[in-house]
Amino acid sequence: MAICLPPGLFAICWWPAVAENQPTTKNRVNKELSNFAARLLPLLRDTARQARPAQDGEFNQLALELFALQFKHNAAYQKICAARDRTPGTIEHWTQIPAVPVAAFKELELTCLAPSERTAVFHSSGTTEQKPSRHFHSAESLAVYETSLWSWFAQNVLPDLRFTIYDLRSENQSAIGSRQSAIFLTPPPSRAPHSSLVHMFEIARQKMGGASIPASRTEFLGRIASDGSWTLDFDAVLAALEDDLKLKTQNSKLILGTAFSFVHLLDYLAERNLRFQLPPGSRVMETGGYKNRSRSMPKVELHALITERLGVPIENVVCEYGMSELSSQAYDVSLGGAGCLQPAEERRGGDTAPYLRRHFHFPPWARVRIISPENGREVADGETGLIRVYDLANVFSVMAVQTEDLGIRREDGFELIGRARMAELRGCSLMSA
Amino acid sequence: MNLPNYYFVDLPPEATLSPVLLTEACQTLKRNRERYLAGRSTEQIVNVLSDVAEAWRKPDNPFRRLALELGPTETGFSMATLKRGLDDFFRQITRDHLHALLTQELGDSRRLDAMTATDVEQKSSRAATVTGPEFLIHIAAGNIPDPTFMGIVLGLLTRSAQFVKCASGSAFLPRLFAHSLYEADPKLGACLELAQWRGGNTDLENILFAEADCVTATGSDETLAALRSRLPACARFLGYGHRVSFGFVAREVLSHAGGPRIASRVTDDVVAWNQLGCLSPHVIYVQPGGEVSPERFAELLADELERREQTEPRGELPSPHAAAITSRRGIYEVRAAHSPETLMWHSKESTAWTVIFEADPRFQTSCLNRFIYVKPAKDLTELLQNAEVVRGKVSTVGLAAPEPQAVELALPLARWGVTRVCPLGQMQNPPLTWRHDGRPALGDLVTWTDLEKGF
Repeated sequence: MAICLPPGLFAICWWPAVAENQPTTKNRVNKELSNFAARLLPLLRDTARQARPAQDGEFNQLALELFALQFKHNAAYQKICAARDRTPGTIEHWTQIPAVPVAAFKELELTCLAPSERTAVFHSSGTTEQKPSRHFHSAESLAVYETSLWSWFAQNVLPDLRFTIYDLRSENQSAIGSRQSAIFLTPPPSRAPHSSLVHMFEIARQKMGGASIPASRTEFLGRIASDGSWTLDFDAVLAALEDDLKLKTQNSKLILGTAFSFVHLLDYLAERNLRFQLPPGSRVMETGGYKNRSRSMPKVELHALITERLGVPIENVVCEYGMSELSSQAYDVSLGGAGCLQPAEERRGGDTAPYLRRHFHFPPWARVRIISPENGREVADGETGLIRVYDLANVFSVMAVQTEDLGIRREDGFELIGRARMAELRGCSLMSA
Repeated sequence: MNLPNYYFVDLPPEATLSPVLLTEACQTLKRNRERYLAGRSTEQIVNVLSDVAEAWRKPDNPFRRLALELGPTETGFSMATLKRGLDDFFRQITRDHLHALLTQELGDSRRLDAMTATDVEQKSSRAATVTGPEFLIHIAAGNIPDPTFMGIVLGLLTRSAQFVKCASGSAFLPRLFAHSLYEADPKLGACLELAQWRGGNTDLENILFAEADCVTATGSDETLAALRSRLPACARFLGYGHRVSFGFVAREVLSHAGGPRIASRVTDDVVAWNQLGCLSPHVIYVQPGGEVSPERFAELLADELERREQTEPRGELPSPHAAAITSRRGIYEVRAAHSPETLMWHSKESTAWTVIFEADPRFQTSCLNRFIYVKPAKDLTELLQNAEVVRGKVSTVGLAAPEPQAVELALPLARWGVTRVCPLGQMQNPPLTWRHDGRPALGDLVTWTDLEKGF
């Protein structure tokens, strides 16, 4: 590849120092953004709108409108945009909206919310990070997040089936196990108040019928270890998995957790030579990388082990891609939906094993672009680049977020490769993390 | 590439190396050494090495041509980067330099041939000789050929049968070097074997290690510790951990005329092997108070890197490495937008080069591939305080300072733990007599036999 360089250098040195952005007035209720959020909410309930070109005009209009508001109300973002010479007046299309690197959420308060409006903050995960990302929320912005996550979750994880949340301390024990139930392999919300993932699980739990039951009495079976890392209450997980055996029922289960929590569970089962055959219809949702919290393994291997140890077929395993800096998530298959198995004729080398076309899709109110790390332009279909997300549900922070994850652009979505900085350099120099 | 099948690396990629084949290869290597190498004189080896090196520097040399033609695809380095790197290495391999190395490390350049004595030894009626390992294994890492080339050169001087295990996908240049030796002297070439596999293939590695008298390895501290634990107790292990390097520019040399000259030398160090070597700088510390400020120096460096990209392009990067640069630029772009204490210059529409100026003097490891930091340091004391985080991991410090001052700075740097101090512009180009990570490169391979006379 030839690298063409225009003459002249590119320098950035325009703006005076500020420690943190400060909203212009304290205790301001941001009417403009509130209005935008109120108008957005009905759209977030409508997952049927696919990201077809016909809808691009609507998305574009909303995106430009939101960009103008965020430019106005998010001081830290405004400086970044100005440094790139991109302001509401100078752009015409959502693809021109400046994306903020996720790392900036660690250093700046990238929010339109005044300090007094902030009621919650989500941090990036990872036990070793000294300075986590901070995504601030208010009651209003949480409502947007919750509507967004539930719509797309229900569409992709529960399209044909409802799971029930039951009270572990219920007097009526015979009712337990007689219903399809969900198991969460994360700590409960009270123990992980800054995890956007746990918040998502809690909202899903409430929406699945558990709203009247305290989270502590449902199946959040993760625990916090003494070093702050997440682990599992293995006895409780085993008890939950054995329900059906004991009660001789055939009610399917939904197990949700991080990739590393599944590795912990699968290792535990392997050590004891335990295997389960969960009832038909049972499904698994796994998300995220490993972040040194367990040994890491390729997705294909993880899914094969889930099938081997839990008896959940790979077509009933869905991966989620999300992060604390966003308010919408992508899923790589739609469970229960038709056609998620790749047709035999598309498979490689006469491979007859079930093979999933695992392409991630965001909901219609978010767009993804795969950006060449070399030149900053969108890559062609089938090429690798950095994942950039434009999420309308990020109303009160920053809509356009540049991740550090690599993906392969696929016409109808993207394939996830993973974190770019894991790259191994080829020399003998000490590499920086 | 049409090279004869002399080595395992010459086999087609689908051919797998079996434990049986490897065991046989080890026996053959030892046998060949006994027949063809053990009895050679140092002078003969020095002649072959210097002739081969001289040949590599001639434009029509077939191995050089292959390296330059196919190298960009095989290694990711541009032709110009390969040319400079190979020339710099082979320029060092001369009769004089080899003799200087032997004399430096062994006291006498005939130590490997006979019982010899220095003046001091003669006075005390002593003599000594050295013997190299019978079977020497190199666990080579990465794409920079210099350490692997040097390992082979030293192993030939010590008359060792050698097995070079390359990291998978990085055997291209060592393979060409081995073939050039074979062509010059087939019997000598037959005492060498090259293979590549992904590290951690214990079936194969255990066979090798069981045969080894000495193993050299380059890698992370974890890799080295793991390797060491798998070696037999009697085998000598020479591990070279990952290292970082940095530069320091004194204010006295930062005149209006001197600034650009030094920026050009720093550029030499940054573009050499695309900064991937452990001798390449991560940070250039610049002393304020000269005619050229640290910020201005960073800008001069950017100018020079941009110019150099036209003549010595960095070459294409795999996506993960380009993404590492882009992600890091993103962070500095945000910082620069919020504070004048961070400045960034970079190639447009490519990741070819990046200069970051930060007022924060704390040492920062680079993501490399021509990504360099410039930071102010008011003196050496302040610099070393800020580099404390990499203390014990620093190989080279490149200096630009008036000679008396540079010499003065060398002692505190040595006491702090730096193992090499050199002029800026020479960081990635050490002399043959360089003591790798502060250890005698040749001296570490051999075993001494002392003779005390007076029978």
